[in-house]
Amino acid sequence: MTPNALCFGEEFPASGAACLVHVEEHGLTVTFAADTANAQPESVPFSNLTVSAGGIDHDHLVVKWKSVQGERTLYLKNPDVIRAFREAVPDHLDLPLAQVAERVRQVRHRRRLVWGIVGGAILSSVLGLWLGADLLVDIAVSRIPVEWEHKLGESAYRDFLSHQEVVKEGSGVVAVEEMTHRLTEQILNNPYNFQVTVVRSDIVNAFALPGGFVVVFTGLMKKAESGEEVAGVLSHELNHVLQRHGLERIVKNLGLLTVMAIVFGNQQGLVGVMKQLGVELLTLKFGREQETEADLTGLQLLQRAKIDPSGMIRFFERLSEKDEGRMEWLSTHPMSAARAERLKVELAALPKTLPEPFTFDWKQVQVSLRSQPVTVP
Amino acid sequence: MKSEILYPGAFPMVRVELAAGENIKAESGAMVACSPTIDIESKMEGGFLGALSRKFLTGEKFFFQTLRASRGPGEALLAPTVPGEIAILELDGVNEYMVQKDGFLAGADTILIESQMQSMSRGLLGGEGFFILKISGKGMLVLNSFGAIHKIELKPNQEYIVDNSHLVAWSTTTSYNIEKATSGWVASFTSGEGFVCRFRGPGLVYIQSRNPGSFGAWIRQFIPVSE
Repeated sequence: MTPNALCFGEEFPASGAACLVHVEEHGLTVTFAADTANAQPESVPFSNLTVSAGGIDHDHLVVKWKSVQGERTLYLKNPDVIRAFREAVPDHLDLPLAQVAERVRQVRHRRRLVWGIVGGAILSSVLGLWLGADLLVDIAVSRIPVEWEHKLGESAYRDFLSHQEVVKEGSGVVAVEEMTHRLTEQILNNPYNFQVTVVRSDIVNAFALPGGFVVVFTGLMKKAESGEEVAGVLSHELNHVLQRHGLERIVKNLGLLTVMAIVFGNQQGLVGVMKQLGVELLTLKFGREQETEADLTGLQLLQRAKIDPSGMIRFFERLSEKDEGRMEWLSTHPMSAARAERLKVELAALPKTLPEPFTFDWKQVQVSLRSQPVTVP
Repeated sequence: MKSEILYPGAFPMVRVELAAGENIKAESGAMVACSPTIDIESKMEGGFLGALSRKFLTGEKFFFQTLRASRGPGEALLAPTVPGEIAILELDGVNEYMVQKDGFLAGADTILIESQMQSMSRGLLGGEGFFILKISGKGMLVLNSFGAIHKIELKPNQEYIVDNSHLVAWSTTTSYNIEKATSGWVASFTSGEGFVCRFRGPGLVYIQSRNPGSFGAWIRQFIPVSE
């Protein structure tokens, strides 16, 4: 015999007695497993039964009756038995059965509804965060005072320079100072005190830290064919600072990691992130949108400073040519022909102004850069 | 298949004797020792997706191991990770149990293990997470607990209140509601009970005499903090 239901009653174990239920024309026949103590097969007419829903998920059909041995409770789960039972029962049980079915449906429906609502709420808040992230970052960045930004950038800047050979004098430094002056003059309401440092290195690169600390490598100056080209790069970097791109990246990184730390309950991770910040600054990569923004605002700044903006475009174009060897500026500033093209279009749209040349002779500056002896510290 | 519990108490083991060709499934890592006639296979119960859902949803191990007496009869010794009692249940094909995620140790090959989603309130407040194991079929089921296992027998409509983190397994013929331990919210938490489960019979409820979460919190204070 393969049991298909559990029967509960006073003399049965608490886990229930396994039994075989047959649905017949006038009622149920319940046959108990052979090892069930003193339980005889029972025949119960439908008229004695009451039905309800039960079990952990309200998916059992519970049938109760009073037998000579006491109260019996039968838990049915087998769908075939339940179907047979529904088909065979007389009219007086139809209504209670329909109520049971309705209750099971309600429980399932409510559960699906709750899961749907919670799932939807989670999904929409994730989506909201995703879409609103930029806005949140902007708000967060705008609340950070310039002094904090200055301190943050300064410590990373000092740290970086302590390992580098800084070029303190010479025509190269004078030339860069002139460019910086011409550019910063044209910035309205400038909250930053820009410090541009020339560092001796063959790396073709320049970078900006939050707070107005800019580093130009001599490698980049040697590569450039005119002062306007270097001024173009400088203008781009100054605009990273002015648009507070570094801070935006930090807040974004910090925000994501903070959320993760909170979600996973890892407070130590958060401390680690704070410690990492200094290192983070130097390895900071700007996003494509930030690069484009710095390009465009850089171009406008060049225009206002009356420095020929085509130098910037020319330099970008030359860097994007393949056989230029290993260039750091390319790795941190992904170059594409489209980028130079976009700048050309922007430039065409700007009103034409007559550029004023620099006071230095770029060829002489480059000669002095090459001739300066490498001092061994 | 015969099984017996060795060293009953805090550090028990189960010895399972397998006839040639018989096999059992066990929680991965449960095998302590076995006869050389027994092969250990790792198996993803319910297929890859079933195993994946069990892993991520219930926190159970991704794989079960199958111990198969493929080269003749033999025996295997199985033990859980945590100190605590073991209980052996015999499923007869109509009895079904819900088992909280760490409660399953081993079972006959003929039993069926599914992960099942709980209702929102039970998932949030029940202390077993949103997904638990539903075990049905016919054959032996070995449960393990943290502390001693205590069986509560409920007659039809008899009620019993259990602290939610002490649950190990319960019959599907029971039902339960989550309630605050006392009538007030503040008192509920200051009493140290928080939420409790009000079970209603008929059926069996297996509980463990220690609360793993509280034990973890207690032992944390003795672990040296390293930077």
